[in-house]
Amino acid sequence: MATLDLNSISKSFGTAKVLHDISLAINDKEFVVFVGPSGCGKSTLLRIIAGLEEATSGQIIIGGEDVSAAHPVERGISMVFQSYALYPHLSVYENIAFPLRVQKLEKADMDARVHRAAEVLQLTDKLQLKPGQLSGGQRQRVAIGRSIVRNPKVFLFDEPLSNLDAALRGDMRVELSQLHKSLDATMVYVTHDQIEAMTMADRIVVLNGGRVEQFGTPMELYHHPKTKFVASFIGQPNMNLIPATVLATDASGIKVELIGGHQMALPVEAATVNKGDKVEVGIRPEHVALGDNGLEISVNVLERLGGVSITYGTIAGATRFCASLPGDAAIKEGEPMMLSVAPQDCHVFDASGDVLRRKSAPALVA
Amino acid sequence: MADVTQQIGQGTFKPKAKTLPEAVFAWLLIGPAMLFIAIIVAWPLAETIRLSFMEAGLGGEEYVGLANYQDLVESRKFHQTIVRTFYWMFLSVGLKLVLGLIGATLLNAAVPGRALFRVLVMPPWIIPMAIGMIGWLWLYNGYFGVLSGSMMSLGITDGPFEFLAYKRSAFYSAVVADVWVGTPMVTLFFLAAMQGVSRDLYEAAWVDGAGRWYRFRRITIPQIMPVIVSMSLLSAIFTFNSFEVIWILTEGGPRSATTTLIIDTYKTAISNFKFGEGSARAVIIVILLGVFALLYLNVLKFVNRKYGTK
Repeated sequence: MATLDLNSISKSFGTAKVLHDISLAINDKEFVVFVGPSGCGKSTLLRIIAGLEEATSGQIIIGGEDVSAAHPVERGISMVFQSYALYPHLSVYENIAFPLRVQKLEKADMDARVHRAAEVLQLTDKLQLKPGQLSGGQRQRVAIGRSIVRNPKVFLFDEPLSNLDAALRGDMRVELSQLHKSLDATMVYVTHDQIEAMTMADRIVVLNGGRVEQFGTPMELYHHPKTKFVASFIGQPNMNLIPATVLATDASGIKVELIGGHQMALPVEAATVNKGDKVEVGIRPEHVALGDNGLEISVNVLERLGGVSITYGTIAGATRFCASLPGDAAIKEGEPMMLSVAPQDCHVFDASGDVLRRKSAPALVA
Repeated sequence: MADVTQQIGQGTFKPKAKTLPEAVFAWLLIGPAMLFIAIIVAWPLAETIRLSFMEAGLGGEEYVGLANYQDLVESRKFHQTIVRTFYWMFLSVGLKLVLGLIGATLLNAAVPGRALFRVLVMPPWIIPMAIGMIGWLWLYNGYFGVLSGSMMSLGITDGPFEFLAYKRSAFYSAVVADVWVGTPMVTLFFLAAMQGVSRDLYEAAWVDGAGRWYRFRRITIPQIMPVIVSMSLLSAIFTFNSFEVIWILTEGGPRSATTTLIIDTYKTAISNFKFGEGSARAVIIVILLGVFALLYLNVLKFVNRKYGTK
């Protein structure tokens, strides 16, 4: 297994620049997820690591070795494709054995490796079938099997779960996490699904418009998003962003008036804002509670999920606000409710979308 | 059924009290097509079979039983014609498939201007065959043909070489012209099949270290195998019955060197007015192609089992 370093990777297709100077250092045995909306460049970045695309500039270093110009097979990577890319005319055995046949491995060795992979992935009784006879999850496992047998230094996954239904996706998430532990492998995983990113990653790279917005552990991204984009991308339901005006700043933080007139003193670094500036206050749906004073929300839609009730409403008739409240919360659709929110749970973003660092935030868990 | 009709009918239209029985309606639908097929296929076929038992010419018909077939079975010349026809077919189809595969692979490659190359493949297929063959007649001409002229100026031959005047050169010249006509269709079908192969398969193989030839052998060929087999049959039938190419170039000559079954049949029935003997030959063609198609269906079954997805 190996470390993976990207140094100033840029990529242009003609005049369109899709990746801007990306540098990342991924540790040995780490599970890193690239996450971002469609078109953010995450798949392109993965394909550059694989050697399927050439970077316009920059270096790729795997296990300390510069492989920027190397053929994919010389990089010591293996890749699982979104479509699985299984050979439909070959049996499961032959699909898994394909990379070994290319390497002209001895029959006995090949046989042993294929059977070991099949055992890990519970495919032993499916080896003689063709991919067309398998379920989506089984096909996914065959594709993973094909990448395991080569003993690569780095595993690359390109949205491998996006073709599966929701229930199977959940199961496969767990399986992939277990596989990562049992293989002790460095894995890079691309997805647009922030839940996959949060649940599986050791660290997450949030990409937006071909740039790295933030690189950190899931809880770091949750508690300390550096930008408005990261804040609204990570967390489910999405963070509420409420326009506000700065009333005063001092050493302890800033005082703001939210749209709708509610005023709050927020403990954040105030160096970059001044009185009168427009900011946005970020409040996660799960960080509010029913109270007697605070934000007044008119509830439009109420979803009772049992354990929690998700409410969708508006502040001052315009700004949308979502709250995650206890399952039995005494609220009704069409009626107003008052929500209290602790100042230390609020995030503040300046006009350019950068966060004002919070002074008191929960200690990060591993 | 009745309920639905009534529901739909409410207020919009009144269902007819009396409708045609289903069987009659079905016959009415397929009747015209069946009549059409009977006139253009079934009747000529039946007439051909009937004639094959006749001694028939411009003067009249006389029943001769299996005599026409017996003559063919005993005729060494006819045996040679059958062998020649199959040799012609296998050689020409083989070349069309190989060239088609190479052409399709090149046209499928990501080269600049490939759309232009794709268009340039078409002319042999598009231009009327008679015009194409007259072009080949000129090329093969010994006195003013390009080929003979080039061979003379290169010192390969001392004087004019008439490609179509000698048994062997005439046969192979006709094969070349037939391949020229038949290759574009094969190429384009192969190209279409190749474009249907998922790019991911090639990328996955490329990441695993498979080279160009390995990918072609282990991915492209198996993936397009059903199309290769179908095109083999289609092309074999077209080539077996290829008439214009040979007739315009050589009329089956010199000394029957390019006489295939279809040419022999035409010469016997149309040129020599021996309708009975010609019909017997035509029936034999139908039988041979029928057997060939049966073999093909079995090959196709095998291919689908080996290269299919299940």
